Amino acid sequence: MSTPQANPVSVLIIGAGPAGLSAAIHLKKNHPQLDVVVIDKASGPGHHNLSGAVVESAALERLLNPIDPNWQTSEQAKKVLIGQVQQDDLLFMAGQCAAFKILPAVHLAKALGLGFGQLSHRGDWICSLSRLTAWLCELAQKADVEVLHGFAAGEILWNEQTHLAEGVRLVDQGLDKEGHPQPNFLPGEIIPARMILIAEGCDGQIAEQFIQKAGLRRQCPQLFSLGVKELIKVSPQQYEAFGSGRVVHAMGYPLWTPLIGPGMFGGGIMYPMGAEQIAVGMIVGLDYPYYDFNPQDALTLFKQHRWVRRFIEGGKVVEGGAKMIPEGGFYALPRCPQTGSIGKSNVCILGDSAGFVNMLKIKGIHNAVYSGLAAAEAVGVNLDTPAAVARCYTRLLEENGVLKEMASAKNFRQTVAKFGPLQGLPLSVLGDWLPRFSVEPDWQAMRRRRYRLKPPVRFDKDTFTAVAGTTHREEQPCHLTIRDAAVCKEKCQPSYEAPCITFCPAGVYESIQGVVKPANPSNCLHCKTCQRKCPFDNIRWRCPEPSGGPKYKTM
Amino acid sequence: MSDYIVLVKQVPDVSQITDNAFDPNTGNLIRTRLPSVINELDAQALAFARRMAFLAGDQKARIIALTMGPPMAAEVLRYCLARCADTAILLTDKALGGADTWATANPLAWAIRKIAKEMLQDPQDYYIVAGMQSVDGDTAQVPPQIAEELNIPCVSYITDAQFQQGQFAFTRIISGGSQTVQLRRMPAVLTVAKYEYPLFASFQRTRQAAKTPLIQWDARTIQAKAIGVEGSKTRVIRVFPPGKTSRKCQPVHSAKELAQIIAQSLRQASADEQAQQEKGRPAYLLPARRKSPFDRSFEGTAKELADFQVLTQILEEMKITRLEGITEQVCEKILQDPRVDFHKKALEDMLEGYRQTEPTYKGEVWVVAEQDENGIHPAVFELLGKARELADSLEVQTGVVLAGKSVRALADSLIAAGADKVYLLEHPLLEPFDPFVWRKAVADVWEKYRPQIVLFAATPQGRVLAPMVSYRTGCGLTADCTGLDIRDSSRKKQIAILFQTRPALGGNVMATICTKDSPCQMATARPGVMQRLKDNPSRKGIIIPHPPALTAEDLSLEILRTEKGTGKVHFDSDCIVSGGKGMQNRDNYDRLLNTLCTAIRERFGVSVEKGASRTAVEQGFAERIYQVGQTGTAVGPKLYIAVGISGAIQHMIGIANTETIVAINTDPHAPIFKQCDYYLIGSAEQVIPQLAEELRTMG
Repeated sequence: MSTPQANPVSVLIIGAGPAGLSAAIHLKKNHPQLDVVVIDKASGPGHHNLSGAVVESAALERLLNPIDPNWQTSEQAKKVLIGQVQQDDLLFMAGQCAAFKILPAVHLAKALGLGFGQLSHRGDWICSLSRLTAWLCELAQKADVEVLHGFAAGEILWNEQTHLAEGVRLVDQGLDKEGHPQPNFLPGEIIPARMILIAEGCDGQIAEQFIQKAGLRRQCPQLFSLGVKELIKVSPQQYEAFGSGRVVHAMGYPLWTPLIGPGMFGGGIMYPMGAEQIAVGMIVGLDYPYYDFNPQDALTLFKQHRWVRRFIEGGKVVEGGAKMIPEGGFYALPRCPQTGSIGKSNVCILGDSAGFVNMLKIKGIHNAVYSGLAAAEAVGVNLDTPAAVARCYTRLLEENGVLKEMASAKNFRQTVAKFGPLQGLPLSVLGDWLPRFSVEPDWQAMRRRRYRLKPPVRFDKDTFTAVAGTTHREEQPCHLTIRDAAVCKEKCQPSYEAPCITFCPAGVYESIQGVVKPANPSNCLHCKTCQRKCPFDNIRWRCPEPSGGPKYKTM
Repeated sequence: MSDYIVLVKQVPDVSQITDNAFDPNTGNLIRTRLPSVINELDAQALAFARRMAFLAGDQKARIIALTMGPPMAAEVLRYCLARCADTAILLTDKALGGADTWATANPLAWAIRKIAKEMLQDPQDYYIVAGMQSVDGDTAQVPPQIAEELNIPCVSYITDAQFQQGQFAFTRIISGGSQTVQLRRMPAVLTVAKYEYPLFASFQRTRQAAKTPLIQWDARTIQAKAIGVEGSKTRVIRVFPPGKTSRKCQPVHSAKELAQIIAQSLRQASADEQAQQEKGRPAYLLPARRKSPFDRSFEGTAKELADFQVLTQILEEMKITRLEGITEQVCEKILQDPRVDFHKKALEDMLEGYRQTEPTYKGEVWVVAEQDENGIHPAVFELLGKARELADSLEVQTGVVLAGKSVRALADSLIAAGADKVYLLEHPLLEPFDPFVWRKAVADVWEKYRPQIVLFAATPQGRVLAPMVSYRTGCGLTADCTGLDIRDSSRKKQIAILFQTRPALGGNVMATICTKDSPCQMATARPGVMQRLKDNPSRKGIIIPHPPALTAEDLSLEILRTEKGTGKVHFDSDCIVSGGKGMQNRDNYDRLLNTLCTAIRERFGVSVEKGASRTAVEQGFAERIYQVGQTGTAVGPKLYIAVGISGAIQHMIGIANTETIVAINTDPHAPIFKQCDYYLIGSAEQVIPQLAEELRTMG
């Protein structure tokens, strides 16, 4: 029954998403002798991965061609990739009935070389990110990468003297609610590693911890949006009418109506997901000011919009999920103040953990993949010089175009944040000519303003979390901390009525006898909105026992 | 220093079952639609084994995980290796597939023999630790059958272990309480009913587990005697979805409305009485009693029933009344008939079936009794009601095996409830219950009198005794039956055999099973499902003493103490008010349920008793004797009010016989709402005082 000794891992990758797996697959392919280990806090492949999603085909080609030139015709590809975008609708919703197609404007912008022209998806692959991730897991395992689910990193071990990361410590398991060890207590193991790639997704706990410990900086604070999404089983007629090669992006109602408000950044999406299922989602910039706003209410209103309703009316919600998106872009990339590297010495930050989302394209998976490939290459050329990996990785990101693309969208989101969608969107057309605006973090944007539109019935968060399949072991310490309960009581409740109760898509927060608490931590979807939108920055999310959280299958 | 062999099974993840997981035509589960996981109780068994080694301070103890299954079952072994197992053995072979519990227990026992001989520190000093049952089969048979094959003791339903003076003391669940026992001999089989602390995978072990080659044995390596379909002693006749619940599932919106429903339910004449008024066609008639030699209206499956109906009708139209009249020409004519959709071979089988008129099995129908200081277990009377019906159909007598220290006084109540004979097995060693002793005594009396059917109650006692007795006597066994019928399977030349219907996969499917290659048909039946007959004190029966030959050598357990709840619980009351986890604490449980019980008792003048879910008992809200459900007591009151109970299958099975079920729960998605008659969404703290008030003031 003895437990084996810990051998250092050559490369430890935190997070089995598109970025981490891309890195793992390529690393192992080029350097089979390395032990490449990917850990993930989810219970299984793809369970914590959620996106629209449309993925640029070039990214998949660069990722998959070297492993299998015929991947496009493989059985798995047919299952995972719904189709290539043939019809790309960009709508402007004016009120709850009218919708105008504004794609011609995008095409015009593209012709004029304006940044706005990037918002075109034709030829991209439509897929579910959970499924894509599960497929990549399979490919990684086939390539002899160790992909281990159910292991959550709790701490990165950073040596102040050597300026090298020495490994990670996993989170403790088997504590009871009060934090006492149970008979099955397993203290967080230490995984020593020579190099670490942080690819844990948006607002990652290890990434943020590492940024602190290693002294990385962002020029602007990271900005976030929250995406809430439902997968709706519709009738064959509805599905056919929608089409399996069409994606819809909608602006305007119910997030933004010129002059009379509301004035939020974001919009609705509709993607076909095969098997007569349509994904309907709502993405809302978290810099919104309305204390009584719940993005799920906007989703409800969007679903009731006449244009949308006809495709999904009478359908059944079979899955749901929520996830944040890092939208700050180029200026929010965490960099080493001295070298500019995204990461430091033997640690690189990949994908959404770094924030490689291009808001002009509203896409980031392609960059997650490219960042993974760059990291793999950087590791490969620095096997004997681990401390040089982060700089090499950053240089490769320059060379492979990721940073260039990020730079092309560098002002967009901040302009909108600064001036609001009404002035911001047209202004952002100026793109590169704009100066860098300083913006406030999302949580500071909350005002004593009410959201004007209200759906007739409250969103059913219980069903939402049920179809998301989220569970946690009940007997564990609460993974959500309210830093100062007095702030809730004395400041937040009197002025904003505790918005966490409203915006948390999983209904984790409740007011019990006047005290606001994370009363239902086991419903948590790991979106982390609470720690980014609490108007007093009073909530902290920490990784619970692994294998908890949602079980996305087609998100 | 003992070693541990942990038995694990890969099962479909029943918690993720959906409607589309079943083939709509056959009712079979489509395994690929569900993820495969380790059986939860086996995961607990693994943790329990490690806990035992830890308690004994045994650093050198080896933990060996053993599973039988298809190659993909290797996953559950990796689960074990990633936690604490030192070695993992996969027993896999096509020849082992399609096995029932008998043909599962046999090869596993042979594999254990091989392990003990070749891999253990001491081939006589080890524990076999397994989950009490699997979620897909729910039979709880394999571990006791392994014990029987190895001729070693079995301690079942264990919830805790202590290590005192160099020996383990195990706490286990018994009917209405718990018991602490020590083993008198080694090795032994232990089955774990609940151990809350399954292990977490360690990172280093997980990495190593993925790289460790598993030991793989096939059927030839282990030299087992009974394997696969051939070695099985039962066969599944058909699998079908359970009937849609006939419960009304109506929402109730106010305490006032609920009060009226309670009033209505308690005033209604019981369904029992209604049922007794309508008695029509007999349950079964032996072929010799039927009017026509071609009457085959008691076939076990719908298809055969239909085929025989067509055939009988054609023969009637052709005015053929005797078997000899069916010539080859007649056969050809039959096959040309447009109504016929069976082939020549089937027709030949059917005609052969007509020649069978003698029942396949001979002998009495038996029930094995179980008793405690309060007398015979109520489930025994229910079984006796069923046994009476079966025996009447078969035109044989009923017998009850009554075993204990001095139990003759109980015989009369059994005769009054339908027994023709009581086989009296009196011996001081038969009390308290030790399965190792009992199984010997019961198998001996079976050997002497050779009944054709033996029924056991599916209680904690019956569920360990029955598998051992059936294995010892070479009989197939079906667990936890909810339906038992005498039917024919004429085409298989079997007449008047026992069709045994039971839920499986956590109640998501039903299966009808028949015994094969056995001298007798054995089954355990769920308490609370069969109907007890009305007592008839003037009934006559005989008592046949059969003193068993037992010595102290036959004992396997030392019983240190037995804890039963104090006082007596009146589960035969008209109304039972049960509380679950949703009661939140003992104070709420006592205060709120007492309030409601009193209000109902005073208002309607009926008897009311409290009950509790297993969770409520585990949480200490109520004593074990109040537990209602599969491991507690099965109840069947007029009205059952479930407060703060989610509705786990084990609980719902225990209240299946209830006439009206009312549920109160805060969770709008509580499964119980789909299995009750009326439900109210709300917290106990709010609803109950209001409801009590309504009951007091209503007109």
